[in-house]
Amino acid sequence: MTTAAQTAAEAATPVRATSRRAWSPSQIVLTLLGAAVSMVFLSPLLWAVFTSLKAETEAVEVPPHWLPEDWTGQAWSAMFETGNITNWFVNSLVVSVCVTAVVLLVAALAGYGFARTQFRGKGFLMGMVMAGLMVSPAVLGVPLFTTVQQMGMVDTYWGMILPQCAPAAMVYILYKFFQGIPRELEEAAFIDGAGRWRVFFTIVVPLSRPSLAAVGIFTFIASWNNFLWPYMVTNNPDLMTMPNGIATVMNSYGIQWAQLMAGGLMAGLPLIIVFVFFQRQIVAGVAHTGLAGQ
Amino acid sequence: MGRPDLSRRRLLAAAGGLTVAGSFGFAALGTGADALASGADTRVRYWNLFSGGDGYNMIAMLDAFRADNPGIDVKDSTLQWGSPFYTKLAMAAAGNRAPDLGVMHMGRVTGFSPGRLLDPWDVRLLAKYGVREADFNPALWKRGVIDGKLYALPLDIHVQLCFYRKDVLKKAGLLGADGRMVPVTSTDEWFDMLKEARGATKKGLQTLGMWHNDQNFQWWFFVAFYTQLGGTWFDAANTEVTFDTDKATQVLQFLRRHLTEGYTNPAFGGGAGAEQVLNGAPFAWEGNWSVPVFDAAKLDYGATPLPPVFGEQATHAESHAFVLPHQSGRGGAADEAAHRLAAYVVTHARQWAAGGHIPAYTPTLSTPAYRKLNPQSEYVTAMDHQATEPKVWFAGSTGILAQRVGPIVVSSTVGSAEPDVAAGRMKGMLTELLASKNPMDGRTAAQGGAVA
Amino acid sequence: MTTTGAETVIRPARARTAALSATVRSRQGFQHGGWFVAPFLALFTLFVIWPLLRGVYLSFTDANISGDGTSFVGLDNYREAVGDPLVWDALGHSGYFTLLVVPCITVLAFLLAMLAHHIERAKWLWRLCFFAPFLLPSTVAANLWQWLFNPGTGMVNHVFGVETPWLTDKSYAMLAVVICTLWWTVGFSFLLYLAALQGIPAHLYEAAKLDGANAWHRMVHITLPMLRNITGLVIALQILASLQVFDQAVVMMDFGTGPEESTRTFVQYTLEQGFTSYRVGYASAISIIFFVLIAAVALARMWLLRNREEGVR
Repeated sequence: MTTAAQTAAEAATPVRATSRRAWSPSQIVLTLLGAAVSMVFLSPLLWAVFTSLKAETEAVEVPPHWLPEDWTGQAWSAMFETGNITNWFVNSLVVSVCVTAVVLLVAALAGYGFARTQFRGKGFLMGMVMAGLMVSPAVLGVPLFTTVQQMGMVDTYWGMILPQCAPAAMVYILYKFFQGIPRELEEAAFIDGAGRWRVFFTIVVPLSRPSLAAVGIFTFIASWNNFLWPYMVTNNPDLMTMPNGIATVMNSYGIQWAQLMAGGLMAGLPLIIVFVFFQRQIVAGVAHTGLAGQ
Repeated sequence: MGRPDLSRRRLLAAAGGLTVAGSFGFAALGTGADALASGADTRVRYWNLFSGGDGYNMIAMLDAFRADNPGIDVKDSTLQWGSPFYTKLAMAAAGNRAPDLGVMHMGRVTGFSPGRLLDPWDVRLLAKYGVREADFNPALWKRGVIDGKLYALPLDIHVQLCFYRKDVLKKAGLLGADGRMVPVTSTDEWFDMLKEARGATKKGLQTLGMWHNDQNFQWWFFVAFYTQLGGTWFDAANTEVTFDTDKATQVLQFLRRHLTEGYTNPAFGGGAGAEQVLNGAPFAWEGNWSVPVFDAAKLDYGATPLPPVFGEQATHAESHAFVLPHQSGRGGAADEAAHRLAAYVVTHARQWAAGGHIPAYTPTLSTPAYRKLNPQSEYVTAMDHQATEPKVWFAGSTGILAQRVGPIVVSSTVGSAEPDVAAGRMKGMLTELLASKNPMDGRTAAQGGAVA
Repeated sequence: MTTTGAETVIRPARARTAALSATVRSRQGFQHGGWFVAPFLALFTLFVIWPLLRGVYLSFTDANISGDGTSFVGLDNYREAVGDPLVWDALGHSGYFTLLVVPCITVLAFLLAMLAHHIERAKWLWRLCFFAPFLLPSTVAANLWQWLFNPGTGMVNHVFGVETPWLTDKSYAMLAVVICTLWWTVGFSFLLYLAALQGIPAHLYEAAKLDGANAWHRMVHITLPMLRNITGLVIALQILASLQVFDQAVVMMDFGTGPEESTRTFVQYTLEQGFTSYRVGYASAISIIFFVLIAAVALARMWLLRNREEGVR
């Protein structure tokens, strides 16, 4: 059985054998081209890093220059002193972790339920989930807000977390995956007298670890970077997540580009660092959820 | 091999479990790290839209308040200025999670549904902290009173000004004996002045920065000059549009002419106007809140109300005011602290005046220290010639009126639309808005959808 | 970027072993599985189905943000929406954005994937470089490009030696948003293409080589046809995501609507009506119109896909 996750994971493994080969002219050209394009892609990020290491006055000098003349961590320390950033970081972490945990549990159960079990109205419910793929806070933000408002959850963590916990796409991905697992293992376990829940948690879940990891990683990235919904539902700066706080709460001293860039890097770096270390899993996750997720 | 791996896995699992449990616990507490860490008895959440020089002064005043009231923890948050701020404030109030204290523009109060999204001030409590109606300009105070209750406690009046560099004007011979810009009374005189000033300006700099592509500033300037022409918006009953398209066309042509004659460089819109002045450009039209910017640069500059090019003195004016966003359980220590904080800031507005604002608290106005401030003393008279938006529910700083009509003014100024066409569009928009119902009470402006 | 619609490119191999040996007991194990689905359905009903129904209901009322004093107004909101020039403008802006972004991203992602696929060394590095921007929050990417496009201090104009008013002129503003979006999101489609490229069986190329096909022929006759499905997926995902553009545009324009309102997107307009003008009823009506539009795009894609599959069979 081949899943997209595995294909992508294999693809992600560096092929050591080939890297010993001699440089052919076409490889030299391609590698140079790759390096040039990479520089174009990275230069905005480098610009952010350099800006964040300049003094505010140097950052807005005309004409701009790449490297700081005076390297200073002033923007970074000022950012931590005001304290908002650390609050938002914690909030982002709390929201993303909760969302990921709930989504994993709920989507795995539902995916399994749809793939394996029988119950009345299953076909209809499955159809509803498919229709739900088209609903997002961008499309139905206003009614979603009034719903959450009625529940008294505006400006609460739950108001941010729970509406992110019903992703039809993830259920669909896991549903497809569970359909691909051979039934025999479960059947054997049933015959041995194991209950349904036990079969699910001791046989099915361990079997689907790569898929669950993919869904978990993708959910975490999406939740960490989510702006629109937290923007709608949180107004209290104490409760904002990174992307929301950085965009909506101003520095009282006006736009301080060096600090803004430092804050942006603080919001973006964790995922980039995680990516460097867990590249294989993340590539597999994105490819898998993206490919199957449609 | 197997065992260390197993224990590592167990460790990871435990750490993961702890993270998840901790996150849920934190979410369940629900207040955020900052509120948890606050050790003070009373915590006042205060939202404002002040950044730049205003933000600097506000923070200084808050720090002074904190020093005087150690038992009160003030958590101030600066949100994006303009309509995003009002959106957040309204949504928080509607969701019953409003902050204890907020700042608003006076013109927005009527449209902000006093009673539903705003709570009234406890005037006796304010008096206890030294704020009395007698110490304010009566007209200004009355703008905050709706249905007999005070909803907005005025902090200042702020106006649109013409900033000028004395060194450049002196070179061009445009400085009077009193060291101030020579007065202008007609558009011709104004453009003559720009022409001469341009001659004395360094190469590569524009003559006048006027936020030509900013829908808020262009709208404010329009209001000012349209008022100078004696233009009106609606009749007294708010049933008819009395907007005069001829006068409007005149104003729009006037604004446009700065670009066609090259006094304003299309590349230097927005904040670049002030930067240009710092670099040596002679003029910029800016809000009085830019005073600290020029002060900080140690510039030799002056600031007058927008020139009365159509004869009458009038410049756009608005006011900042403190409000109590609606909380279903208003009252208690945080509410009292909010009263105390607002009263403190209003009565200690000298620092605020350094930011260019004209204090609403008149005892501050008459202090010698304030009278000595420059260029504040040059434009303090502007408060007697205020050009304001019509008093209807859809008006007020960055309100629906500004959002709808402002872009039309910009389209004319930058040359995308002919001035007379734009004037016609403005009238059409005003007609549409006058007929529209205030979504909060279902009444049109004529039906008394909250009149100030 | 959200994943919507319904399709799989790589289908998990289905084990179709008939469970003939299954006892009654095992069959019971698969019965009455409603409890597995219940937690999800509860959340799904509360936060997807209910808001959808509520949106339909609200769209026939004059509801405001405070939620009281609501009365039924029939089709008034829809009638107003059809005649509201700003609705059409906003739709036009979102459409224009989509029209620019979708082809650019598709081509760019394909080229980047070809490049990364064919370079033999340090594969992880190329993947990291092209994908890293996607890991940034939208608001951070937008702030960064706002800074890069800033007049005077902006690097873009400096590097190219021009004075383009990117963020203040209506003919450039949306373009600036598009450029930011390309940089920020191309990594996602790039990964999809890369995975698909790596999924093409090597023996196809070897056979073609034996037949004397050159590199160009191999690309036209093997690579491109093999990538047809993934291209369809990339385009569909991009169309759906681009129509819902909001974050980058508002942040780059400081939560305004851009020069002469040239970057007000559809999502932004619904939020403006609902949260800035407090007209929840009207905002719901235009949201429902938008929902129908999005659903139509998604359904059209499903229909196309089914037709094609039937054609193949």
